[in-house]
Parts: sequence; C-alpha cells; structure tokens
Amino acid sequence: MDARFTDMLRPFLKHPGAEPLDLAPDTDLRRLGVDSMQAIELLFTIEDTFGISLPDEDLNDTTFATAGSLWQAIAAQLPGEVTA
Amino acid sequence: MTGNDLAARLSEAAEVAARHAARTDRAAEFPTEALDALRSTGLLGLLVPTEHGGLGGTARELVTAAEALGRVDMSVGMIFAMHCQQVQAVVRFAGERLRKELLPRIAAGECYLASVTTEAGKGGHLLTAEAQLVDGDGQLTIDRFAPIVTGGSHADGYLITMRSPGADATASEVSLVYAHRDQLTRTPSGDWQPMGMRASHSVALRLTGRVPDHHVIGEQGGFHHIAAQVFGPLAHLGWSAAWLGTAAGALSRVLRLLRSPAGRERFDLGSELLLTRISRARQRLDTVHALLQQSLRTLESGADLAVPARQLQLNALKITAAEECHAAVDDLVTALGLRHGYLQDSPTGLERALRDLRSAALNYSNDRLHLADGRLALRDQGVTFA
Repeated sequence: MDARFTDMLRPFLKHPGAEPLDLAPDTDLRRLGVDSMQAIELLFTIEDTFGISLPDEDLNDTTFATAGSLWQAIAAQLPGEVTA
Repeated sequence: MTGNDLAARLSEAAEVAARHAARTDRAAEFPTEALDALRSTGLLGLLVPTEHGGLGGTARELVTAAEALGRVDMSVGMIFAMHCQQVQAVVRFAGERLRKELLPRIAAGECYLASVTTEAGKGGHLLTAEAQLVDGDGQLTIDRFAPIVTGGSHADGYLITMRSPGADATASEVSLVYAHRDQLTRTPSGDWQPMGMRASHSVALRLTGRVPDHHVIGEQGGFHHIAAQVFGPLAHLGWSAAWLGTAAGALSRVLRLLRSPAGRERFDLGSELLLTRISRARQRLDTVHALLQQSLRTLESGADLAVPARQLQLNALKITAAEECHAAVDDLVTALGLRHGYLQDSPTGLERALRDLRSAALNYSNDRLHLADGRLALRDQGVTFA
C-alpha cells in the first residue's frame, strides 16, 4: 500500500476517533462506512488517481472488504507493480 | 406440505381477514382476528423447519401466501410477509440455542415477530444504526426508539437492529438482536392515522430492556450480511406478492361485477374504451407476475445475490410491483367511474386497494432504490441479466 493510496482512501472513511486513522492492510473498510452504495464513488476516485480501470468482476464485497484487498486489486492493474 | 394443505390453511385465514378488513381499515386497528387465524392455522410457522414443528415452507410458498392474503387485505398480507422475513433470519442466522428456544414457539403460533429497523435521523438507511447495545454480565441492554414499527404494539417478539457494543463501534457496525415482549418495556407514541395500510398499525415505539448474549442473530456487526441474504430479497418478494395480490383481488372483483347480470346492464362490455382499460390493468399484473416468478427462480438458484445483475433484478421487482399494481387499480377506478370506482361501500373495494397500494412506492422508497440501482448499473458495464 503506497501513500498515494492511503491519502486517496482516507476521505471515504467515517472514522469516529479524534486521532488520525492508521491504515493497515487488514483495516476493515465496511466498519468505516464503505458499502456498496459508496463503492462506486470510491471506484471513480481510484480510477482517476491511478489512471486505471478496475474490471467489473472485481467490484465485489471481497475487493472492498479491507484496505489490503482493495490495494491488491488496484496493484494488479498498475503497470510493472508487484502485488504485495 | 402439499399445495392443497397450504391452500386450505390460506383459505381459512383469508376468510377471517376478509370478514374484518373493512372495520380494521376504517378504525385503523391492527387485524387481531386475522393474526389469530394465522396463529391457529400454523401459517405463522410457514418458514419454520419441520424439525422445529413448523410447516417447512419455502420462499415460493411465502409468495403464494402473501399474494392470497393480499387479495383480501393488503395490511394482513404485508404483516404476514414481514413476519416471515424475520422468521427466515432466525432460521438462517440464529445460533442453535436461540433457534431451539424460539422456532418451536413461532411454529406453535405463539410468537408473531415485528421488525425494528427504522430510526430517527438516519434517513431510512437500513445498514446504519445510532442506538448502541451495551454489553455486560452476559446480557445486552437495549434502548431504542423507532418511528415506524408495523404491528409494534401487537408483536410477541422483535428483531431489532442496533449498533454493536464497544467504544470504537461505528454506525456501520450493525447487529440484529431478538427480544421477546416480556424482556422489553414498550412505549408507543403518537397517533396512527395514515391514508392506507391502516390496519398495519405501524406506530412509533420506544423499546427498553435486557436480553441474554445469545439473542444476537448472526455475528455482532453482521447485520449487513443478513440484510443482503434474507431481509432484502424476502422483503422485495413478499411485499411484491402482497401488492400483486391486492391488485389481482381488485381486478377479480371488478370482472365479477362486470360479468354479473346487474353489471351487464350497467356497463357496456362491448365498449372499446372499457375493454382497453381492463386489458391495461391485466397487462400490468402479468408484468409484475412474470418478474416476481423470475426473481423467485433467481433466489431459488442459490446463486450469490450480491452480484449487481441479481440485486438489480430484485430491486426492479420491488419498484415495478409498487408502480404497476397501483397503476392497475388506478386504471380500474377510471374504468368503473364514481359509483364502483370511488365509493367505499362498492363491492369492488377499489377505494381501499388504491389507498393501500399508494404506500408501496414509499415503503423503502422507490427513489432510494433507484439511486442504488444507478450505482449498481454503473458496476455492470456489460449489462448482464439474472
């Protein structure tokens, strides 16, 4: 997960605490308010930020479950990136 | 359960519902007699597996039942459909202990379940919750206000959505918890004087009380999964069936009136305008029926319902049924005119059916579903169909 990704993701999360949210690969996105209704706006931002297109079949609950699973789906579309 | 067996139970319950429908509508009273008939016929346990004493019915039989009840009283059809949706959540997601305690009581007709998902200030969002469960000593404390609970003052048990316990739980961590009426203090508020669905007695309710830990249905924070697998699909199927039944019952009564000797004298059955209006109403109902049957097959296939094409189909069913069933009855009002289209005491019952069906587009608002569908459609660029 790179900084571009975490900076992009943060505004989509409904974080209850006062402290800035520490994003880890296992951060549960659903409990932070990312649901199927929100996923499409997040998708557009991902595609604009990284200049990629995520395949329709990747747009499922598993992809949007955690920060790590979402990053993997993005990384798979980035030229020359190793998925990690 | 054989089809005849179900038909006999439904005919008994529908007969009771029909007998009291005009009174409960006029007085905006809960249909207690119809609920008693649903208890004594075993229909409250339609979806309870036979090993727990129920009828072991399926979603298809729920659709048959909601349609049959809707033909005589839409409030009763909706009350029954919503109860069954709650029962299915218990069957599919409750732990073994709660299943053993609760399912036999539902099957015995002792437990009519109401749904508590509405909450002030969240704008109808099913998947968020403000009021939070408090846990301690193996108990969960409930303190919850809901602006609309169908049958709220008459239910024996409640399935309630609440925010999961814990200091860091967010509004998106929603749990479903069961409470029996003995475990709650129920405080209804406000008056119930709606346009239609008057017998559903959907009052505002404050619920406070304590239940044991094992009353959580599914995982803590796992309501979104129950909503996607059971609440959404069965609500759309069950409601659409009740609405189709209401409109089909109205059309049937109109046709019987037109075909009667008095009707033949009063109406010109050769009138092209009248024939076209009858045809339009029938066409609308065939459209809803076809979509209902196809959605039922999608559910029965066991395929993942979270896929956009399948969600879109189930949402299209709800939106289409709400619009077309209301429009069909509206057509019939126009076709028959003031005496048999507009007056409360006409044997066609169009006046009540139209008022009741006006709620369909508002009951989980079609506007809200269109917003979800627009986003879902954007996720299916290839436009696949379920």
